[in-house]
Amino acid sequence: MRPPRWLIVVFVGALVGIVFAGVSTYDFVQHLDRQVHSLHCSFIPGMSHGAGESGCQVAMMSPYSSVLRSRVWGGIPISLPAMAVFAFIGFYALDLLLTRRTEDRRATAFLALATALPALASLVMLMISLIKLGTTCKLCVCIYIASALCLTGGIMMWRHSLKTTSPAPAASNGFLGAMVGVGVAFVGVPLILYLAMSPDHSKFLGTCENLTKSEDTYGVMVKVEKGSSGVPAIEILDPLCPACKAFEERLGGSGLGERLDRKAILFPLDTECNWMITETTHPGACTVSEAVLCAGDRAPEVIKWAFEVQDRVRAEAKTDKTAAARIVKEKFPELASCVGSAEARSKLNKSMRWAVSHNIRVLTPQLFVDNVKLCDEDVDLGLEYALSRMLAAHDRGERLGPPPAEAPPDVPMGGHHAGSASAVEKPKPPKSTETKPSEAGSSETKPAETKPAETKPAETKPEPTEAKPVETKPAEPEGTPVTKPEPMPPEDKGSGGAP
Amino acid sequence: MTPVRAAILAVLIAIPTVLTGTWIHSADARLAEQTATPTEQVAVASASDVGYCSPGLKKILRRVLMSCGLVGGSAARGCQPIQAKNVATMSGGDFNALFTPMKERGGIVEFEKNKSELTPGAIGLVDQVFADQKGASWFFVVARASPEGSVEHNRELSKARAESVMTQLRQQFKDPDLDKEVGMLWLGEEFAQLETAFCDWKRSATGTACTAEEINRSAFIAWIDCQL
Repeated sequence: MRPPRWLIVVFVGALVGIVFAGVSTYDFVQHLDRQVHSLHCSFIPGMSHGAGESGCQVAMMSPYSSVLRSRVWGGIPISLPAMAVFAFIGFYALDLLLTRRTEDRRATAFLALATALPALASLVMLMISLIKLGTTCKLCVCIYIASALCLTGGIMMWRHSLKTTSPAPAASNGFLGAMVGVGVAFVGVPLILYLAMSPDHSKFLGTCENLTKSEDTYGVMVKVEKGSSGVPAIEILDPLCPACKAFEERLGGSGLGERLDRKAILFPLDTECNWMITETTHPGACTVSEAVLCAGDRAPEVIKWAFEVQDRVRAEAKTDKTAAARIVKEKFPELASCVGSAEARSKLNKSMRWAVSHNIRVLTPQLFVDNVKLCDEDVDLGLEYALSRMLAAHDRGERLGPPPAEAPPDVPMGGHHAGSASAVEKPKPPKSTETKPSEAGSSETKPAETKPAETKPAETKPEPTEAKPVETKPAEPEGTPVTKPEPMPPEDKGSGGAP
Repeated sequence: MTPVRAAILAVLIAIPTVLTGTWIHSADARLAEQTATPTEQVAVASASDVGYCSPGLKKILRRVLMSCGLVGGSAARGCQPIQAKNVATMSGGDFNALFTPMKERGGIVEFEKNKSELTPGAIGLVDQVFADQKGASWFFVVARASPEGSVEHNRELSKARAESVMTQLRQQFKDPDLDKEVGMLWLGEEFAQLETAFCDWKRSATGTACTAEEINRSAFIAWIDCQL
């Protein structure tokens, strides 16, 4: 029983498809642990791409990589049914051989139809990759090739059968119906298993450093979108941060952004103005942030523009400190007198002081929906899942997570202990321990910045730069350092020193 | 269906099913493990606390801030010479030496003789230094007068100079924290006269001579990057 040449092509295509769709599914599924993992983005199965931007990353983080994202954390990866379909095609190809139906017109027509399914899906995904994502992923390309092999083999098998007479009886409707059922089982069983076994991520909602208060005491919040209305939300934002841009795109793509009334607290990761970091991640971010603050009602326009030109601004500002101001003033000449002024600098400083007084983590972006933080682990794959539930809870009047701690009294910054934030109650979700891909490039990444950006020295050292030391001494009651009088030394007593 | 076909079917349908189940189970186990493990502390936005903020400096700083009405809920604002001297419990030279690490964070706002109004240059310097707050928590305004005229007059003159700076800050920066972060001391001619070494600091009267008298017709301003 020598297999026909084109059936071998189909089988090889199915095997290649199983392998690469399997690797892609594995890459996706491992993110269910809410950590960061490198992807196997290579034409050689299993080879790791390592850290950094890749087409696979862009594809995986895009809303097109999975379905049912609001129902399951991350959604069901489309590579999973792809793997199942290739497995079915492999099975059917072998079955044709075993049942001697390789020259049966009806059976081979069914093969051609079955192989058309992944081919059609591949065509659609290729179009999406090129048009919507502007990149292609190596794993996906291998799957496209596998689909093409299967389709070619399937069509050639069918064409060959038209020219020959099958020795076996033609495939009955029952046989073909049974094969449809088998095909459905191939896809349905793993999908049902995925839905049943997928970890419950709802327990993490509302457990990540919620705000105890959100008043804009300094008048530094700016609207992110024009005319938006909905649930009040605060975003910690750096206008030159690629992860913020990618987050914006994901939020827009999810359709959930429209349900938020987002205001931004500007938090540029640029040492020109940000004392909490030791290395500038986004050169020029201070200047662009000042422009956003100077713009007033036009802030959404400036933010949108900053996202568009952030690569250029960062690149030029890296070598020329005046570049960001020059680029801003070229685009918005009416802001020229404000950007760089004492007033603008002071306002930007207050924006960062807001972050200090609210114990905000040193990273961007962060989103607080009605004071409940969208966990950093939920800003990409889990965005639709987490945010839709947070909004639903808000609609029901429920507050997610532990009850808010008592709001700290208003004390000047120096009275706060840096470590106090970590005292926020939390069953905290696990933090990333693996290297996140760099934020290079403008496309979405699991952002270097959904991890702590560089901060000052020490033990908490999220990559790529080290974290500012969080004081580990026991936190004194909030405010006490500046409200509790220190006893005067004996020689001072009665001196009249204190008014 | 023959046993061979059934076996092939079972094997091939098991591939996506078993692999997916295994991977999900593994991810779930890692998730559970991570959740059970105490998380490391994370970087949190905080005020500056730079190297020169020694325990000794913080102690003095706290005393001055409290005694001068900046913290502690006192309605009084500012420290008079006798208070500053008593609270600091140190010599004038040592008191001034506390501020020397803050050279890059401060400036000397100079006044005309027997005047307390800010010149345009002085306004510019006040705005410039104050706008450069960064992570600092406390802003000191330490006004003085040169040792000409009576002690009482100089005391009042230095107070007026400190208040001029404060007024400018109020007008220029609508900062709700102003009263909680700006500490005023007026020392007249009685305590901690500046030495000419401070002529090297940023001064509002640039390009002019800097004598011992002129450097003390001034309000020293600086952000202090210390947490208490």
